[in-house]
Amino acid sequence: MSNDALIQTVALEKTYRTGSVETPALNGVDLELHAREFTAVAGPSGSGKSTLLHLLGGLDRPSSGEIFLEGTAMSGLSKDQLSRLRLTNIGFVFQAYNLIPVLTVLENTAFVLELQGIVRSERIERARKILGELGIEEYADQYPNRISGGEQQRVAVARAVVSDPSIVLADEPTANLDTTTSLDLIDLMRRLNSEKGATFFFATHDNRLLDRVNRLITLVDGEVANDELR
Amino acid sequence: MKAAIRHLKRNKGRSLLTLLAVLIPVYTLVFMFGFASANLRDMFETATGLESGHFQVREVQERATGGTLPLIDDAAPILATLDAEERVAWRTVRLDVPALASAGNRSQAILVQGVEPETVARITPIETLIVDGEYLASGTNGAVLGEELAVTLDLTVGDDVILLGVHPDAAMGVLRVPIVGIYDAPDASMGRSLIQIDLDSARALVRRPTAATAVVAMVDGVTGPWDVDVIDEVTSDISASLPAGFEIVDWRQLAPIVDSYMRILRPMLLLIAGTFFALGALVVVNTLYLSVMERTREIGLILALGSSRRRVMGMILTEAGLISGIGALYGAVVGVALIWIVEAIGGIPLPRQFADMMRALGLSGVLHLRIDTANVILSAVIMAAIAMIAALFPAWRATKFEPVEAMRYVE
Ligand SMILES: Nc1ncnc2c1ncn2[C@@H]1O[C@H](COP(=O)(O)OP(=O)(O)OP(=O)(O)O)[C@@H](O)[C@H]1O
Ligand SMILES: [Mg+2]
Repeated sequence: MSNDALIQTVALEKTYRTGSVETPALNGVDLELHAREFTAVAGPSGSGKSTLLHLLGGLDRPSSGEIFLEGTAMSGLSKDQLSRLRLTNIGFVFQAYNLIPVLTVLENTAFVLELQGIVRSERIERARKILGELGIEEYADQYPNRISGGEQQRVAVARAVVSDPSIVLADEPTANLDTTTSLDLIDLMRRLNSEKGATFFFATHDNRLLDRVNRLITLVDGEVANDELR
Repeated sequence: MKAAIRHLKRNKGRSLLTLLAVLIPVYTLVFMFGFASANLRDMFETATGLESGHFQVREVQERATGGTLPLIDDAAPILATLDAEERVAWRTVRLDVPALASAGNRSQAILVQGVEPETVARITPIETLIVDGEYLASGTNGAVLGEELAVTLDLTVGDDVILLGVHPDAAMGVLRVPIVGIYDAPDASMGRSLIQIDLDSARALVRRPTAATAVVAMVDGVTGPWDVDVIDEVTSDISASLPAGFEIVDWRQLAPIVDSYMRILRPMLLLIAGTFFALGALVVVNTLYLSVMERTREIGLILALGSSRRRVMGMILTEAGLISGIGALYGAVVGVALIWIVEAIGGIPLPRQFADMMRALGLSGVLHLRIDTANVILSAVIMAAIAMIAALFPAWRATKFEPVEAMRYVE
């Protein structure tokens, strides 16, 4: 195990069991992700992209194998410790429904800071700052249902990076967006990556986005079929 | 907190339903207890006021005397015992003598009650019921009698009535007494059969200058049936220091109907209250559970972001607490307001037959309500507390969501 890896997976396997039906989703994935990388994981539907993200984010546990996050074996963590780890080390952007409907854009952005126990004045300040950097401060006091899907995803990105996590995991963040909006969102993430050094790992099967990444991992049938730097 | 309010506002219909589920039981119970409380108070006051007092001290009855109380030769030792107990508010001596009342050629078997006019007036309402003449004055020879008896004996104020005392413990005595007042009795049998005279006159009738049949006492700080424990304490203390040969007869024995009514009413009220609380709790569980299920995705998201399960639970409980707190508060306000309105228009008059029945029991024919602060607070607090306990299940359920699965959930 090389020590500079942010995340390392070893022989990662995941098999879903629904009654007597077993669905293999990941079949031995060995990966190393490094800080400041901007990585996409591509692959056909059902290839295991979401599963991989869920395991890396501590939202689910592997059937076998191990994940090390900054050297710590995640299998050794309790449910509450995993929850704590998600809060402090990982930013999430999901495909949709990222925001809490009863909170404003600003409150949604500040939500993880609130969970972290940061005082109100500081979390408002930090949330405003990141919204400003992403050019969406004008929506700060809007509720999520009053802004467009692309704007909602930007807010989700803002929330994912506001607490400076070790890595941002994004599962098809552009799946519900049109081409221009998708490219804008990816460019935004790219900018955060180059300007602030934020590490991104996102799943997509949108080929138009792939020339903007600096590392592309392709999954096929739960295995890494290709892993290239660009 | 802010988020909780917004959640409640988001689904106004359901929040209102939850609110009503708490509000309706509270105001119903406040109203019901208000009625029961006033009803019990009236009954208790009538029972203890009209005749019996909170308790009486009598001579121990050793043989059957056909309803006549045995004569106490000298009431002084009883008075000494009662006066030594400071929780006894006051006491009055009574001498009941079965007698024959005659005027001209008409006669009627009656009960002569020798009383101390100043003190007895505090429990018997006869002084306030005088329709002709006036009430007794201490130390003067005079009698008050009911309208019915006045008609039977054809007597008016100023006439004399001849009393022939026939107490089994004393020699027969005869007394001529002028009528000083005529009263309108609350029930006819009392008006036909009760003559009150001054205690000294009654003692003369039985030729015993210190005699009595009972010392009637009232206890300090008893404002209604809810304070009967105080009476029990005082009577048990006094009976320990009472001279031999005397016994305490308390309101339970003197007014057994009131006692048994209170005994039946209490569990009945509790049963009804419990039912209302349970119904309220069921609606709260139901609506809150629905609301949690509808927010599966949102709760999943919150858990995915790293919220502790305790926090999610707190979030649901905050909403429940807000709504049940507001519901209970408004329920109490509505209940109190209803009582206040009913009392402002003078109570609810009963249909005739009922009113007559109530009057026979010594109650007024109008339903009254009473704001019992303790009952109001208890109804509201218990309902709110039960609603919170009911909310624990949906709140606990919300913490059991698995983030990934919850977020896959499509509404
Ligand atoms: N909770 C689950 N229970 C059972 N099987 C599952 C579950 N989640 C995923 N699978 C299965 O695991 C395999 C991998 O699914 P996964 O969602 O990781 O693929 P994906 O690459 O994200 O696909 P997509 O591009 O459609 O999002 C699929 O065969 C899928 O049906
Ligand atoms: Mg997927």
